[in-house]
Amino acid sequence: MTAIFINGQPVETGEHTTVLQAALANGFYIPHFCWHPALSIVGNCRVCVVEQEGRGVGIACNMPISDGMRVLTDSDPVRAQRKAMLQFILLNHPVDCGICDKAGECALQDYHYEYNGEPAISGDPKLPSTKFFPLSERILLDNERCILCSRCVRFTREISKSNVLGLEHRGDSMLVRPAEGRTLDDDPYSDNVVDICPVGALLSRSFLYQSRVWYLEPTPSVCPGCARGCTVQLWHRKAEWRVKGLDERHNTRIHRVTPLENPRVNGPWICNKGRDLPELLDRPRATQALQKGETVSLMQAIEAARGLLDQAGKRVALVSSWGSNEELRAFRNSLGDYFTSFVKPDHLPLEGEVVEDDLLIRADKNPNTRAGQDLLGAGVVQIPEDTDLILVWGEGTDFGTLPRGAKILFLGSWLLPENGHADVFIPISIQTERRGHYTNFEGVVSAFEPCQPRRDGVIDAETLFPLLSAPGGSASGGGAA
Amino acid sequence: MTGRKVLMDFEVTPTSHSLDDYRARGGYEALEKVLRTMKPREVTQEIVDSGLQGRGGAAFPAGRKWQGIDPDDGQPHYLIANADEGEPGTFKDRWVLEYTPHTLLESMLLSCYALGVRHCFVYIRGEYDLPWRRLDAAVEEAYAAGYFGENILGSDFSCDLFVFRGAGAYVCGEASSLLGSIEGTRAFPRNRPPRMTVRGLHQAPTVVNNVETLATIAWIIRNGASAFREVGTEKSPGTRLISISGHIARPGVYEVELGYSWARFLHEDCGGVLGGRPLKAVIPGGISSQVLTGKDAKVLTAGEVEGLTLDHEKLRSAGSSLGSGGMIVIAEGTCMVRLLQIMLRFYHHESCGQCTPCREGTGWMHRIIDRIVAGDGRPEDLERLNYIAGFNDGTTICGLGDAAGYAATAMLDNFREEFDYFIEHKRSKFAGNLE
Amino acid sequence: MKHLIPEFERLKTRLPPGHDATLLVPCLRRIQEDRGFIDNSDIDGLVEYLGIPRIQIEEALSFYGMLRRKPIGRWHLQVCRNVSCSMRGAERLIDQLIGKLGVQPGETTPDGRFTLSTVECLGSCGTAPVVMVNEAYHENLSAADLDALLERLD
Repeated sequence: MTAIFINGQPVETGEHTTVLQAALANGFYIPHFCWHPALSIVGNCRVCVVEQEGRGVGIACNMPISDGMRVLTDSDPVRAQRKAMLQFILLNHPVDCGICDKAGECALQDYHYEYNGEPAISGDPKLPSTKFFPLSERILLDNERCILCSRCVRFTREISKSNVLGLEHRGDSMLVRPAEGRTLDDDPYSDNVVDICPVGALLSRSFLYQSRVWYLEPTPSVCPGCARGCTVQLWHRKAEWRVKGLDERHNTRIHRVTPLENPRVNGPWICNKGRDLPELLDRPRATQALQKGETVSLMQAIEAARGLLDQAGKRVALVSSWGSNEELRAFRNSLGDYFTSFVKPDHLPLEGEVVEDDLLIRADKNPNTRAGQDLLGAGVVQIPEDTDLILVWGEGTDFGTLPRGAKILFLGSWLLPENGHADVFIPISIQTERRGHYTNFEGVVSAFEPCQPRRDGVIDAETLFPLLSAPGGSASGGGAA
Repeated sequence: MTGRKVLMDFEVTPTSHSLDDYRARGGYEALEKVLRTMKPREVTQEIVDSGLQGRGGAAFPAGRKWQGIDPDDGQPHYLIANADEGEPGTFKDRWVLEYTPHTLLESMLLSCYALGVRHCFVYIRGEYDLPWRRLDAAVEEAYAAGYFGENILGSDFSCDLFVFRGAGAYVCGEASSLLGSIEGTRAFPRNRPPRMTVRGLHQAPTVVNNVETLATIAWIIRNGASAFREVGTEKSPGTRLISISGHIARPGVYEVELGYSWARFLHEDCGGVLGGRPLKAVIPGGISSQVLTGKDAKVLTAGEVEGLTLDHEKLRSAGSSLGSGGMIVIAEGTCMVRLLQIMLRFYHHESCGQCTPCREGTGWMHRIIDRIVAGDGRPEDLERLNYIAGFNDGTTICGLGDAAGYAATAMLDNFREEFDYFIEHKRSKFAGNLE
Repeated sequence: MKHLIPEFERLKTRLPPGHDATLLVPCLRRIQEDRGFIDNSDIDGLVEYLGIPRIQIEEALSFYGMLRRKPIGRWHLQVCRNVSCSMRGAERLIDQLIGKLGVQPGETTPDGRFTLSTVECLGSCGTAPVVMVNEAYHENLSAADLDALLERLD
């Protein structure tokens, strides 16, 4: 084991190879803009300086560890250089934090307060540059705010490999630009550059001017967009900032989605589909139970469903691959022996969507196929023509393809025409309204937490399944384990 | 005469750059001797023993740099001759390329042999046309004569050379930066570690030497390290090509034995200050002297020059260096504020933009000096320049930012009253005169 | 650029194998020599020939001062204005050219004959001032020399 001394304290460096990594891992914060743990070292911001005793000041991100070395993270020369670097960086930065989406989570803002705290020493006007340069339908670039750390450029080369972005020209004329004829629309991971931008230079169009970040808080969740099951943060207004002056939707909606770093699943990244989760979750919800298209109460619908179960001889269940582990277990425990069950894809790849790649995106566009198949088998959907009852749980089934004589019990969350075509429709909750887990294609289990109030009129599937098999209902005879 | 010669030991004629002429003066004999009688490590040892220091600016011992490479480690190695001569005031390598390119080529072959290099490069600055033509013709002659290619002179040593022409970027003179250029990217200098002898071109161990440094190798191998040691001073063996320009009667490239009297060089060999004017200052080794590594670009004032000899240790003790050998002589009556403006404009123009202090600092200093020259200077500007210069020093990836800082501090230290005068009177003390 | 590929292939023979990207700057220079500038179609051709991303080529094009994306005048007059040349009259030469050609540095005369540029050190300090006309250096230029030079360039 290699030991070094940071600010006089001995530190085991473990597997780390640079002073910056070892310091961060041991609770010594060293400010840094260009360094990012998942990207190559470029050492261009010159802010992460430390003093190696006897050898002067150098950048920690590229300082190899040598046994017994002594570094200081807060000595006078270190402080002086950091201050100077911030003066340089702020020379032509507009400091328009008041209208910048990044304010509140901006490294430059934080470091300025922490390590500089002085007004600009330049008395000359700042140089103008391009504002709102469109990098894609999703992302805008503000070159005045850009500090040329090249994180976004390296991301498109080293991680997403789209090679869209580059640094054009040289010196202080240098600009982040896309290759001619290309946009970040070519990059299904592009929105990560907004996160890794240490300043407010890269702006998400969907989040632009939507909310100050300090009104928001994240809830850990799992992206249901594919079988990778990336862990994400769903950002919504803090309870104390849900104010009457805003409409209910604004108070409760998900404002943005960011990755929840997870070395076992997605590292620090997610794809753009995950960013668009709010659109998926903002679709009109089904909150009304129906019987043959007629409005009924939830309890009436459950009763009617039990009736269908009683009457049916041959029963098939098309199980949702969006059900949580808990829901899937509840289904198996309550109804599993009663149905011939198939786990079906609720979602298929959309036109134009990346089907699969080497980074994160999986062809199976459902979060929990693996858990469903582990519990219920991986059989191909096969519905005998003489089936009496089909339980359809979740989206993605065209009723027209089902045997004509079968009754349909449909459990769904969205306002869809099919709802009225089912013999019984029961509205169920969605992921953001409940707690649960998904098992990704590799068997890694990740948890999601609720962050939106459950809509009136809907029931959690996990609660519903035991009710369908409760004593008095015929499904209890199915001998659920 | 400026002492003994190592490189200019022949008469320049219309054909002296040709292979025939070079062979007639003993050319490629060292290569034949080495291939027959010496092992690679023995060649390196000879260079170590010679005490040869790099001639590009940093004066790092060439042999020590070479020892960073193990010729037998089984990896590919690369050698690059740095002919990206862009340091203002420097045009000495051009002399080698135009008048004795085979000296460079033979030296490179010897070096490649010593270092276990199969492919080597000359990185020549993009604007050089005649030097490139001469070099290119020499390369073809050498290939035709069997000095390059497979099994050179019947030995098992094979070596190819590629002449790589730059495309207009001063920063490529920085050794790690030109690697990017050869790898097919724009040229950003690289952080150390790793040293280039550990991971250089294509991630393989690489030696980058200045043209003059390399060109000296053939002489050392031909005549022996001890003969080389007899030239120059104990700590600065050999000679330097000095390119002298500015206000000097006979500008040009001179080979000067290290330890030679500076006053004699200026006043006798070069004919003294142009028009017989008094000497105001000398920039000894290119406007940034050590843009590639170090600390000087110091302007020497007239009084300081008189007692000095031309060698690395004397200049270092005077707070400057021989740098790239680009000496610029400045006569009395020259406006140092305007001169600094030109220098800062240059650094601003050439900053690659990669790292913060240089990218922002060079532009900032340039805008301040432009404002001063426009008659809009403010008293705090000079402190500001010193501050910016100070934090360009030692904080950047390569030496360009340092050099810009040194230029500013050297001028401000030595000619402060001219700057104060300009700011106070909104005009130059010398009417902006540069000529 | 396609017709230049046989030339590029010959260049490869002296390079270490597997590092074709080395040819980027040499190819760009050769294309510019051939066409006068580097066209979009040339970039597309190099993307294919060298197998490197377009952005890498664009970065290089905007980084190296000698490379250009647009045609210029028949005669490119590049006047060095660095320290040694300025000390030997470069600024007067620049003024002379601006007056005579009626264009500012960076501009081309309306007849397409001259493009005027100012450049940094050309390594011709001992023979300052220097004007580079296309590839060739014209050194030790006096005002009269410059007038005579312009006469010769048609």
